[in-house]
Amino acid sequence: MGSAGQSHGLITARDAGLVACQQCGQVHPLHARVCKRCEGRLQSRDTESLQKVWAWLIAGMIAYIPANIYPMLLTSTLVERSESTIIGGVVELFEHGSWGIAAIVFAASVMIPVGKFIAIMYLAISVQRHSSLNRHERHKAYEVVEFIGRWSMIDVFVVAILSALVQLDTIATVNPGVAAMSFALSVIFTMLSAQAFDSRLIWDADRTQQ
Amino acid sequence: MSDPNDTGPAPFDVRPVKRRIWQRLSLVWLVPLVALAISLWAAWQSYADRGTLITISFENAAGITAGETTIKYRDVTVGEVEDLEFSEGLTVVLVHARIDKIVAPFLDDDAQFWVVRPDVSVRGITGLETVLSGVFIEGNWDTEADVAQTQFTGLEQPNLTRANQRGTRVVLRADDGGSIAAGAPILHKGIEVGYLEKPELSFNGDQVLVSAFVESPYDRRITSSTRFWDTSGFSVSFGAGGVSLDVSSLASVIEGGIAFDTVVSGGRPIDDGHRFDIFPSEQAARESLFTDPNAEVLEVAVLFEQSVSGLSEGAEVRFQGIRIGEVSSLNAIVVGDAANAQVRLQAVLSIEPSRLGMAGNATAEDALALLSDFVTRGLRARMVTGNILAGTLFVELVEVPDALPAIVTLTSGDFPVIPTTESEISDVAATAEGLLARINALPVEELMDGAIDLMDSFERLANDEYTRATPAALVALLDESRALINSEDIQAIPGDLRNVIGDLDSLVSEANEVGLITDIDAAVATAGQAATNIEIATRNLPQITADIEALTTRANELELEALVASATASLNAIDGFLGTDDAVAFPAEANAALATMRALLDEVREGGAVANVNAALASANEAARAVEDAVSTLPALAARASELVDQTEAVVNSYSERSRFSAETLATLRDIQEASDAISSLARTIERNPNSLLIGR
Repeated sequence: MGSAGQSHGLITARDAGLVACQQCGQVHPLHARVCKRCEGRLQSRDTESLQKVWAWLIAGMIAYIPANIYPMLLTSTLVERSESTIIGGVVELFEHGSWGIAAIVFAASVMIPVGKFIAIMYLAISVQRHSSLNRHERHKAYEVVEFIGRWSMIDVFVVAILSALVQLDTIATVNPGVAAMSFALSVIFTMLSAQAFDSRLIWDADRTQQ
Repeated sequence: MSDPNDTGPAPFDVRPVKRRIWQRLSLVWLVPLVALAISLWAAWQSYADRGTLITISFENAAGITAGETTIKYRDVTVGEVEDLEFSEGLTVVLVHARIDKIVAPFLDDDAQFWVVRPDVSVRGITGLETVLSGVFIEGNWDTEADVAQTQFTGLEQPNLTRANQRGTRVVLRADDGGSIAAGAPILHKGIEVGYLEKPELSFNGDQVLVSAFVESPYDRRITSSTRFWDTSGFSVSFGAGGVSLDVSSLASVIEGGIAFDTVVSGGRPIDDGHRFDIFPSEQAARESLFTDPNAEVLEVAVLFEQSVSGLSEGAEVRFQGIRIGEVSSLNAIVVGDAANAQVRLQAVLSIEPSRLGMAGNATAEDALALLSDFVTRGLRARMVTGNILAGTLFVELVEVPDALPAIVTLTSGDFPVIPTTESEISDVAATAEGLLARINALPVEELMDGAIDLMDSFERLANDEYTRATPAALVALLDESRALINSEDIQAIPGDLRNVIGDLDSLVSEANEVGLITDIDAAVATAGQAATNIEIATRNLPQITADIEALTTRANELELEALVASATASLNAIDGFLGTDDAVAFPAEANAALATMRALLDEVREGGAVANVNAALASANEAARAVEDAVSTLPALAARASELVDQTEAVVNSYSERSRFSAETLATLRDIQEASDAISSLARTIERNPNSLLIGR
């Protein structure tokens, strides 16, 4: 817990009357508005960060609902025409004994997005409430959310590739359903939500706590 | 902590102005708001468009799958099965389905649902698409929105008629449904104008009811006077009109079918569900056109004493040749009391008053009054043969002019009784008997006798000795003629004449020498006598010629064609010919002619052997003149002989048989001709040179 011990002596740029450029890292006086080097906008703290996080998060969660209700894939073959939702597909795979694939699909389509929602909500709430939880864990959680975000699109990619490949007219056709679009939107919204989160707020939260 | 600047003013507590909450709000909030709005709108719309839940009950749900089986209306999907379950007590399968909101209001009580499955029938293969795609539920309802319903009972069989199909639905009744099949066509003048639904047994089970749909505009042809009849297959009817074969279209032969027609006008238009009877044949249907099944009928009885075999229920009742009703029942009843009880055969006649020429609203009583009136004037019932071969009978009401007085009685049975008169039954046996009797009555034996006589006459003619003798006699005649011509005497005539001339020459010279000139006159007279004889003989020849001519004429009458053409007449002619004296006398005449010729020859011979030549020499000059005269007749003789030859040739040609007779005749005739030519040339020689008679050269 060395880092925790050192934190007492740690000061933020804001405390030092400085502001760092988010793009190039150039440090400026606090009153500076534009980066001398890259002409990027300088902002010591994004005051609207949490609003954006919440807004994008809610949009993502709204989009996630039809993604689960409506069919993801529209598969029509010569004799059959089937629609499968995410959960329905997982259950079907599980019933067919393809546990591995069912687990992957379930993880990518359900666990990861839902986990992201929960993680972002946790971060946002903890920052707002100046939670007393370990700030290191919050940083870790933020990094995980950032990392995981891109993998959420795996479902959308599968649907896109399948519907591009399987277009054999009447014999077999795969088309993306409404859920595919909703799911993609949901993922995009949650990624935007994660990006909108200003991680520096975690530091402030730590400090105010002290 | 002291600060040198401590005396300065206290630092301001710089705090940003608390901004209003909407001023602090980020624009990003629009994103979830829009997302929420879209989601809510989509949710609301899908809820609003969800459609109406209906329940259809089926006996079985073969092939119906929840979530997959669709409901189609005119081949457009209008709904989907959502759930399948059993009703209470597992009686039927309840199919819950969602129907599009647009069509839901039209699902009133006329909506029908059935499951479309592959079906192979005579009419073709239907529902083939369901082999791959699975079954679907076909719905059918009209285009008028009524009180919408959500509970329906599915049909087990597809309904053939679209509810909005324009046309008329009628109910047909038949005694037997054997030739009626669902989907069988309804024909009108050979055109398919509708079809039958599934036949069903009537409530009490004595009839078959089948719903028939006739498409518009053909349904306008259906009125209350329309008649339907069965055209299934082909029918052979054997009735009073003879045998008739009726073959309908091949399709109806296979599937069965119903045809209809409206022959008489004046029928009332009908409503849906009007009931019609199916008649077994077109003829029956057309006959029934003249009977109104709802009209009041008068039932009267007729008691026949003799057998009514051949009379059947439904047989016509005719009055003055017009059908006025039919025999409704036949039975035997006992009339009279125990002592003289008799069994009579009672035929009950159903007579339609309107057919008697009465007004349409005439009652049975009116008709009975009219009939009673007729009966007092001599109307009687009798059985008449309708068809000889089939032996069918019908009842005819006929007015008998001199009938015994009678009235319509109500004494026996339930019906008024019309008196009867003698029936006109000509059954096959009687007719055949009559035919045989007539054949028997034919004068066959006389005919045969006549024919035999005819043959005998021919035979007799052929065997008649005169007929037979005719050729023989002719042959003999010709033989003798030839013998005559070839005879030395005839040949010797010129020689004899030359001798005579020589004798005369010597006589003359002798006379010159002796001076007996005076005797020559006498000699010449004798020579004249001889010439006269020759002339007589020559005069006989035309008689022969005439006879042969007659023979020729009669022979010509013997033409065989005429013989064949009118055997009897020819026979008579031949008989007559044979009977004529000429024919009988012919051979005799020929013989006589020959005899005459023979006598002539004898005379000539005698002439050649004139003993008293010396006396003749007295008149030599006269003799020479007489000879010259005689000789002048020779050309005529030759011409006549030639004529004889021609005529005989004609006779021979009329026989036209290459027999020995004709050949010989021809040869003989040629000889005669040669002889006549020789005589002719002799005559010419003498004519040219009369002196040669005298000088002998």
